[in-house]
Amino acid sequence: MLRRTFLMLTTSLAVACSASLANAACSPDYSGVTLTVASQTGPYIASALKLGADEWTKKTCGKVNVVEFPWSELYPKIVTSLTASDATFDLVSFAPAWLPDFVPYLSEMPKAMQSGKDWDDVEPAYRERLMVWEGKIYSQSMDGDVHTYTYRSDLFSDPKEKDAFKAKYGYDLAPPKTWKQYLDIAEFFQRPDKGLWGTAEAFRRGGQQFWFFFSHAAAYTNNPNYPGAMFFDPETMDAQINNPGWVKGLEEYIRASKLGPPNALNFSFGEVNAAVAGGQVAESIGWGDTGVIAADPKQSKISGKVGSAVLPGSDEIWNAKTKKWDKFPAVLPAPFMAFGGWQVAVPKVGKNQQAAWDFVKTLTSPEVSGQAAITGGTGVNPYRKSHTANLELWNKIFSPQEAKEYLGAQADSINGKNVALDMRLPGYFSYTEVVEIELGKALAGQTTPQAALDTVAKEWNRLTDEFGRAKQLAAYRAAMGLPPKN
Amino acid sequence: MMRNDPIKHVFIWPAVLVVLAISIFPLIYSFTTSFLSYRLIPPIPPRVVWLGNYATLLQEPRFWNAILTTTLIAFIAVGLQYVIGFGVALALNARVPGERLFRVALLLPMLLAPVAVALVARMIFNPTMGPLNQFLSMFGLANLPFLTNGHWALGCIIAVEIWQWTPFVILMMLAGLQTLPEDVYEAAELENASAWQQFWGITFPMMLPISAAVVFIRLIESYKIMDTVFVMTGGGPGVDTETLTLFAYQEGFKKFNLGYTSALSFLFLIAITIIGVTYLALLRPHLEKRR
Repeated sequence: MLRRTFLMLTTSLAVACSASLANAACSPDYSGVTLTVASQTGPYIASALKLGADEWTKKTCGKVNVVEFPWSELYPKIVTSLTASDATFDLVSFAPAWLPDFVPYLSEMPKAMQSGKDWDDVEPAYRERLMVWEGKIYSQSMDGDVHTYTYRSDLFSDPKEKDAFKAKYGYDLAPPKTWKQYLDIAEFFQRPDKGLWGTAEAFRRGGQQFWFFFSHAAAYTNNPNYPGAMFFDPETMDAQINNPGWVKGLEEYIRASKLGPPNALNFSFGEVNAAVAGGQVAESIGWGDTGVIAADPKQSKISGKVGSAVLPGSDEIWNAKTKKWDKFPAVLPAPFMAFGGWQVAVPKVGKNQQAAWDFVKTLTSPEVSGQAAITGGTGVNPYRKSHTANLELWNKIFSPQEAKEYLGAQADSINGKNVALDMRLPGYFSYTEVVEIELGKALAGQTTPQAALDTVAKEWNRLTDEFGRAKQLAAYRAAMGLPPKN
Repeated sequence: MMRNDPIKHVFIWPAVLVVLAISIFPLIYSFTTSFLSYRLIPPIPPRVVWLGNYATLLQEPRFWNAILTTTLIAFIAVGLQYVIGFGVALALNARVPGERLFRVALLLPMLLAPVAVALVARMIFNPTMGPLNQFLSMFGLANLPFLTNGHWALGCIIAVEIWQWTPFVILMMLAGLQTLPEDVYEAAELENASAWQQFWGITFPMMLPISAAVVFIRLIESYKIMDTVFVMTGGGPGVDTETLTLFAYQEGFKKFNLGYTSALSFLFLIAITIIGVTYLALLRPHLEKRR
């Protein structure tokens, strides 16, 4: 009997010891915890979440289940879950523009995560602006998004092309400083008989189209003399989208649609990347993915010939207050933080909030996110200072010159003095839907740019009144980083 | 068990409650919501607007455009599905060589998910990489704006609808043709009636009841078209190919404008009912003649 008891005690001790040894590898120990994350269909972002999930599992022994939805279904799925207060998702990944709609249902980021080396490493444009809502942090950027300019360096450095361009336009062929130059370059390289076209942008409804239009318009409407007045007048909340700056932006966007491959009107961002990587176009604008994909020899015909720069700007910007064009001594770039990069947040009703925030910490750590940023197809673009500072990291996919230009364009855009923030407002989809419809009509020539934007402005003002002008004004000012209006 | 035996309530009421819970209650809830200004995002407390949502919709050009687009797709697609489907069913019924293989092959499109079909179609009609434009360019023809021009896009959607749903018509019509009595045709042949005369004098009139049912089912189904349009054009360019269901989806699941969407759904229901009743009223004299 004594022997049996001794044997049992020894066995129990051995089991307990081995369990504690296993758990010692889990720090903090989240074994038995499975987090469910809502994501758009991969590979973009979903694969980045999975990359982070693998690391988190190794570290904590917890598991992460990434549930994927098509882009168009993601917002409805998240909204339905949040408003019904069900705990389907422990984490949600989303666009910063949706944050105002989600804020009532999200938990605040733990204070401990809002300081330290990793926190300071996040670029201020995200840490101090896009991740903030009414002074509080509800989300963490897991991707940086700003539109930049991409071009074929082999064409731009060809002496014959340079001479021919100068002879025709009277200035040197180089990455454009203004949108007029951008269109000149597109026109110059428009050679359908040789399978080469000027530029590629997204023009398709539901295909990220309106962000490309906003990038054109930002140059003429994001006025540093009257900050935050790009989309609405921050004093009255009157829509600004039909002012002369926006009309000029739309006219040039329409012109760009005619300098692209056949039926560019059906292009979403995916087709833009395909056209650039296929060597079909001389230049393009878009997110950082374009440069990474174009540099990848497995996906691209122009690997080693990819140049990057900040978006073109303007030396004349419409002032929504004085209702006049302000003239600036030099061209002022207005890089547009289109979309603003994916964010992750933890719903209030989640049952594993502590574990969920811990996963966020791992996912967005400089090491894991840095690896995601240089992995083609994750959709992760630089959003930390360490992402753009570490040239060695990027030499794996870019040539030194390509890396220098790409990272320079990213850093200069995010830290640009006149960087234009994307619109973030409650009821975001109601505002952007009418833009998409009217853009479609204007691009198809069914209506004039001015008439299209007048319709959008009228609808925006109606929506603002319906949602409550004072509430929307307060939200808009918060989104633009302006103090509350007394 | 007597007619007045109270035990009958034990059997009836659970079923009645289930029907009420899963069918009638949502309908009543939706109908009530249609009289409210009710948005989930941004959250706005519900406010009674009575017929306000209906009045706004009826003055909304986008609503009338969606009705017109849906009607065009439904009538043109179903009309052609019927003609082609009837023709193919007649051929298959005539026991052509390899009839069994044709029968299976022709039914395949119907078995595919509309989303998958629409995705394939989107690739085929792709302006630069699509095989159709590449084929056309072999003959020196310019690339056609299949999905970027309103008229072309509508035509492409109709073509896909015909391709996918004609097999349903074939299946139904073939089933009908196989039930027709052979002695009538034998008698007609004795009278030296031509094939054309036999079709218009015997086949078509005798197939009228089943034709009416097939067209009716397809018409109602076509009015509900959503996935094909959503994937192929997203309702664009502009709103040129936006159908009623897509319009309702945009309002309901993108803008979460629940009151307005409910009103839209009920107007849709009214429109479908009017079309259905008119269709049956027009056909009734012909159908009654056959009884």
